[in-house]
Amino acid sequence: MSLRLRLVTAFVLVTVLGAAAAAWASVTSASAALVTAAQQQLTAAVAAQISAIAPELTFPPDQDALDRLRAAVGPDTLVTYADLTSENGTINTFDLATVRASMRDTHRLAAQRVDGPWLLIGAPVVTTAPDGSRTPSGLEVYAARDLGPVDRQIDGLARDAARTAALALPLSALLALAAAGSVLRPVRRLRDTARRLAAGDLTARTVPRGADELTDLTVTINEMAGALQTMQADARRFAADVSHELRTPLATLTAVVDVLAATAGALEPDARESAQMAITEVGRLTRLVEDLVEVSRFDAGTAALRTEETDLVDMVRDCLRARGWTGEVELIAPSPVRTRADRRRLDVIVANLVGNALRHGRPPVRVRVAATAAHALIEVTDAGPGLPPDVLPHVFARFWKRDPARSRTPGSGLGLSIARENARLHGGDLTAADAGGGARFTLSLPLGTEDR
Amino acid sequence: MRRFLLIGALAVLLGGCGVRPSGVITTGEAPTGVAPGVTLYFVTEDGALAPQLRETGRLGTIPEALALLLDASPQDAGLHTEIEAHGVTRVVADTEPGLIILRLPLADYELTPRGIDQIVCTTLGVAIQRGEPRTTRVRTTFTLPTPASDPLRTCPLTGS
Repeated sequence: MSLRLRLVTAFVLVTVLGAAAAAWASVTSASAALVTAAQQQLTAAVAAQISAIAPELTFPPDQDALDRLRAAVGPDTLVTYADLTSENGTINTFDLATVRASMRDTHRLAAQRVDGPWLLIGAPVVTTAPDGSRTPSGLEVYAARDLGPVDRQIDGLARDAARTAALALPLSALLALAAAGSVLRPVRRLRDTARRLAAGDLTARTVPRGADELTDLTVTINEMAGALQTMQADARRFAADVSHELRTPLATLTAVVDVLAATAGALEPDARESAQMAITEVGRLTRLVEDLVEVSRFDAGTAALRTEETDLVDMVRDCLRARGWTGEVELIAPSPVRTRADRRRLDVIVANLVGNALRHGRPPVRVRVAATAAHALIEVTDAGPGLPPDVLPHVFARFWKRDPARSRTPGSGLGLSIARENARLHGGDLTAADAGGGARFTLSLPLGTEDR
Repeated sequence: MRRFLLIGALAVLLGGCGVRPSGVITTGEAPTGVAPGVTLYFVTEDGALAPQLRETGRLGTIPEALALLLDASPQDAGLHTEIEAHGVTRVVADTEPGLIILRLPLADYELTPRGIDQIVCTTLGVAIQRGEPRTTRVRTTFTLPTPASDPLRTCPLTGS
């Protein structure tokens, strides 16, 4: 369940329960008051009816007197005196034992609510002496009175209350949505920032607002991003410094190796082999350091772009010819594609892509130069094993090698990374894809170079 | 869990409504007013008041009781009435809370103060038997204006 749903549910539940409890309390007290008033009124009415006719009754009463009294009290009435009874209506369907016991015990009016709902009223008629002393006369009146109207009135009250409580539901839902929104908006902003950080953009920050716990969290995440940025910058500066420091001794070493190469022919076969190995390794080391220096420039943002009007087809052809690959690579270029570009950097890209294709893929290696409305495209494909999905995300990573066991390849492990940095420096991009039976690398450069 | 709580609350809400059965509720004074007859008051030879039950079979009203009294002669030896009988027995009784005003068909010289007591005691006796409180007072008014019409009287015999 999402946080928003949880917040809204809790809010709505609390509100509706509160409204329901309030409604229930008011309905309960109102219904109690209604019932009490109704039963007092009904009991008093029966007593008043008896009192009104009692002085006119013969006493001790005969059957006729009982019938008169019963008629005066109304429907659903039972009058008893000794063995005589007079009754009508539904009074004989009720159990009067409880009421009878109470009124004989207290000589006062007794009432009882029973299912129906009905009110059973028991009235003992007493004889009062002229001096005010009261004795039971033996005359007893029972009456049943319908409480249905009161019941319906209470039902109406309850319905109204339930409706009022239900009205609180949409209102509280709206309020809850607003409250949840105000809580979740900063959370969403934080999530976006965290995603940018995860994607490598360490400059991503969230502006902290307010003074709550989420603001604390925002500040903490900003500090974390700052720390990461510092660490990354430190690491890059260290790499740059190391590369620069290595350059000078390497230059010396290269010079020495050059001398060694010139005299290698005069050496013993064993020594010549060792010398040859040293020459190769120094060459690799030099390339690695040059690549590292180049990467440092990109990281530091100091790589400069020297653009000139270039025909990409010519450029690719020159690149292939300079490396002696013309025979091995098929160039497909129907027409010249002219744009402004840094020839040296494009040469690095194409050389890297084609070199990789020749080294890791299988022929035929094709280079296609084409143009769309907005972009110039240079596409390098081979017929090798291709790029499986688990490899694709990593091909541009620094020092990433597909097969960890194959560590002694001639490349520095930085080639594709540098190629993509070069493409991006042009405002373009370099993408890799599996062509289904080979790998395909596509370099796209924007054509509207004048605007840049 | 929450759903059960909500349903429970609603059930309590709806179940708490309506008229539910109860035990016995004792609500008020029992009605009264039945009596085998009406009590009239006469005077003994030494001037005291004495009640006498006339078995009329029912209690009846105050005017009925007074009509009997004004027209009656005591049935027991040794009792007499001090109200002059002249055949007119129609008495009007107006009732206010705590007070009964009698309009007697008599002038104040047609009866003695004991005679007034006879009327007041008979009136209050019937009133109390009909359920009036014992603090009820009686004012007697006569055909001719007289100070005897003013006081609020009680029955000296019963103290009420």
